[in-house]
Amino acid sequence: MPEHIALGKSLPRVDAMEKITGKATYASDVYLPGMLMCKLLTSTESHARIVRLDTTRAEALPGVRAVITGNDYPDIRFGSGALRDRRIMATDEVFYIGEAVAAVAADDEITAQEAVELIDVEYQPLPVVVDPLQAIRDDAVPVHEDLESFEGYGFAGGGNNCTLLDADRGDVVQAFQDADQTIEETYQSQPINQGFLEPMACVANVEPNGRLTVWASTQGPYQVRAQLASVLDIPLSRIKVIAMELGGGFGAKLRLAFEAFPAMLAMKSGRPVKLINTREEAFTLNGPRLETNIRLKTGVMNDGRIVAREAYSIFDVGAYLGAGPNAGVGHALGPYKIPNFKLRSYGVYTNKIYVGSYRASGVADMTFAVESHMDSVAHQLGIDPLDFRSMNAVEEGDISVSGARLPRNGLRETLQAVKDRLGLPKKMGEARGLGIAMGEWRSGSGPSTAAISVNEDGTISMLTGSVDISGSDTSMAQIAAETLGVTLDQVVVPKRDTDMAPFTGPSGGSRIVYSQGKAVQMAAEDARNKLMALASDRLGVPPDALACENGKVYVQDNTPQELTLAQLARMSLTSPQGPIVGNASLSSMPFAPVYNTQAAEVLVDRETGRVTLTRFVQAQDVGVAINPMSVVGQLEGGAVQGIGRALSEELQIDSETGRVLNPSLATYLMPLAVDMPEIETILINVPTDDGPFGARAVAEPPGFGPPAAIANAIYDAVGVRIKELPFTAERVLAAIKGQQPKAGFIDIEALLSGENPLV
Amino acid sequence: MARFEYLEARTLRQAISLLQRHGDEARIVAGSTDFLVRWRQGVWQPKYVVNIGRIASLRRISYSRRLGLRLGALVSVRDLETHPQIQSNYSALSAAAASFAGVQVRNLATVGGNVCNASPAGDTLPALLAFDAQCKIAGPEGDRWVALSEFFTGPGRTVLQTGEILTELRLPPPLPNTGSLYIKHSPRGAMDIATLGVASVISLEGSGRVCRNLRIGLGAVAPTPIRASSAESLLWGREVTPELITSAAQAAKADAKPIGDVRGSAEHRQDMVAVLTQRTLDRALDMARGNPMAFEMQRQFAIQAAF
Repeated sequence: MPEHIALGKSLPRVDAMEKITGKATYASDVYLPGMLMCKLLTSTESHARIVRLDTTRAEALPGVRAVITGNDYPDIRFGSGALRDRRIMATDEVFYIGEAVAAVAADDEITAQEAVELIDVEYQPLPVVVDPLQAIRDDAVPVHEDLESFEGYGFAGGGNNCTLLDADRGDVVQAFQDADQTIEETYQSQPINQGFLEPMACVANVEPNGRLTVWASTQGPYQVRAQLASVLDIPLSRIKVIAMELGGGFGAKLRLAFEAFPAMLAMKSGRPVKLINTREEAFTLNGPRLETNIRLKTGVMNDGRIVAREAYSIFDVGAYLGAGPNAGVGHALGPYKIPNFKLRSYGVYTNKIYVGSYRASGVADMTFAVESHMDSVAHQLGIDPLDFRSMNAVEEGDISVSGARLPRNGLRETLQAVKDRLGLPKKMGEARGLGIAMGEWRSGSGPSTAAISVNEDGTISMLTGSVDISGSDTSMAQIAAETLGVTLDQVVVPKRDTDMAPFTGPSGGSRIVYSQGKAVQMAAEDARNKLMALASDRLGVPPDALACENGKVYVQDNTPQELTLAQLARMSLTSPQGPIVGNASLSSMPFAPVYNTQAAEVLVDRETGRVTLTRFVQAQDVGVAINPMSVVGQLEGGAVQGIGRALSEELQIDSETGRVLNPSLATYLMPLAVDMPEIETILINVPTDDGPFGARAVAEPPGFGPPAAIANAIYDAVGVRIKELPFTAERVLAAIKGQQPKAGFIDIEALLSGENPLV
Repeated sequence: MARFEYLEARTLRQAISLLQRHGDEARIVAGSTDFLVRWRQGVWQPKYVVNIGRIASLRRISYSRRLGLRLGALVSVRDLETHPQIQSNYSALSAAAASFAGVQVRNLATVGGNVCNASPAGDTLPALLAFDAQCKIAGPEGDRWVALSEFFTGPGRTVLQTGEILTELRLPPPLPNTGSLYIKHSPRGAMDIATLGVASVISLEGSGRVCRNLRIGLGAVAPTPIRASSAESLLWGREVTPELITSAAQAAKADAKPIGDVRGSAEHRQDMVAVLTQRTLDRALDMARGNPMAFEMQRQFAIQAAF
């Protein structure tokens, strides 16, 4: 094993100092001369026609510089997923409480707020549907009357059923007939917020040359640019998006959020305009996850082989298909070989805040259902849940749901590592239990670019368009440093914007290190090849006799012939090939799924129902950890989010109006450090063929397993199966007392009924 | 957020006169930990904000074995948590204070503010009720005294009249052979509002069997913090048995009149009153019988109901 200069080292982040000293600049830190503050008027109705919207009194208030309504925007529908179903601001109809209806720019925040309160709006209420299980019925109140006119609607089912994803293989009917046993269960996940600490913020300004500059808190500056161009109906080339430091996104900031409001106000007022969301708005304006109802049916042989799976899920999208169809459908199989399956996922409109992305949207919900169900099936068969998983686990060469062949992977190693760490199987004490869950995620792909230039002093400038997320800049700089044989401190990572850096996909879906990192590696190799070619020319030896290490290119057979990168960079300025710049572009990466196993130990208070997590162990195949400290941090963070989802987090929504009832950090309860045991993380290293240095994706999977692992641990502790999230003390106590949950068994198939042409 | 005029009182006299002048349009602030949140939410829109936080005479803490504890209204919640005399003589109050928000907020928040905010879920209130706190109220006509159990009239409402300020709380000295414990039930282990909270203070006769004195304070299970009176009366003057404690816990459940909200249903809250009352009584009784519990352990009970 050769000595590495940067790879595999737990180096501090390249931006650590500015972050810990509070000097890093976020969008809300941007102050421009003459800048105005923006406030929004939002809908107080769940579904209503706007019969009157009068901004006269607001405009007359001293200090108010511009007021906009939906009519200030071009008559354009846009969409974030597969459907163009949404206007940037309500025009004649509102579809949920909290939807933006008007916006004001004023000299200061309080004046803007006072102006908002002076806007006269009159609504004529329309019928409302909040429950997705009601909304999907043929006779349900339609959320959108004009959905036939939505572009992309051919994708949808009819009525409020806006999307269908399906996957089939084999003969499911026959397989269930042949199965020794069939087990059927329904699970329900809850609405949740991503819990990013930095509320959305942005500043927009029209430059003297007429171009629009937007300082944004976003994971996807190029996506914001494209959507902004679309809703404002101006050329994309007239917009520059500067991605500021990101104070947490988790998928919520992948797309256009509110940038179009200050942008329009800036265009109308001729002044820079800033919008900072309140925490309440972070909960009520856009993009949480809503509930998913999942019914699973599994056919098994008495020896433990799974022969068939049926999965129906109904996924509440809210008023618009914000994040697109549910990504979870294929995950209804879990990481198991199941020869016959029929999988259906239905998206349904309701009069609620519309869904955004959150750390592999849909997969966490599906993993909760599937991994809880796996334990139910194992218990029915009388097989140890870990053995049951092991005997059905996928293997290299298997064909995935998407049809791709499964490459080498570390699934079994993660299961074994957790088994060894915990000494499984083991019996816990009174009211104590232990549960496991496995997770699977394709490594994120998508367009990626990088440019690497070697500066005259031998330092390296690394230019990518991707936003730093959880230290990804540092990992990418380590990839560049390793490839070029320099230390990390020799790599410069400039702040960048959409004018300066080439197009790249958003920072999400666990794609940055695996895909974007690959582009960096390729660009660095390109630069290295150019350095070697130049050195070969100057030293008069063939390139393959040279090595590029420790900041220089030298002749390998120990002669003192060498050129430093600084010397080469200076030489390149007058060389025929010109300055050393390496470039790389790629559109996708090969299928390289990542697997994990997570285990929870709990203590259940039989009298109060309170669940205390006493130990949490996880193992994940990360391929190669570019920066182990960063990888462990990601895995711990993901686990904590999953634990919050399991035990306390729930966006409570009024069943009559769809209003969010707990839009604050005092009532939306994310776990704290005191609520966490130490999270024990084990890194498994089964390298990929194509990722940079063999790395895999990391970020999404740790959030998948905690709900099921904890549910399985509760079952182990007190013998009750909780099928609804979260596992509040009240819900667990009710189950211990033998009370039926309110949702009960949902026969989704019957609900959809024979008349539905989709079934 | 609405505009207001900020006024600062340096003396009690000045504060009372400002309050008299501006009547219902004024709101008193000290630590402002409730005010700033409610003001930003637009729930409170006073025209005048009167800061009494700089009136030094309201910051005093004194304790004597004869007179008990005197707490100026501006004493911080952090002081309740850390003051050695409070920790040793009114440990359930210190533990309750430790379960209150986070350290930064505890440093700012005042005991007077927590009382006058009159939230049914106020963290210090069940313990203050159980220690039989008396409220000293200053007003244009002079001072008057009201028992804390008579102080609250509804959620966010108190007996304070225009121009009146809560200036001091007095807690009688603890009797010999006393044990006290507060248990807070909340989804999160810290920085959370109580789903419910129960504080029990029990004193035994010298022999160690008969209950000489008992007070149980319940939080977040009625429109105001309340005493579990019927539970208390079951034990007063009687020999304490496990059966009697169970009966008292059931009686406390009947004393509670909770509502359902985002933290839990009314039924769940009511059921938990019995469980937590039983647990506080069991442990407080054990302490009263001469088996002290380390403060760190009491603090854990106050913050988490899990054990």
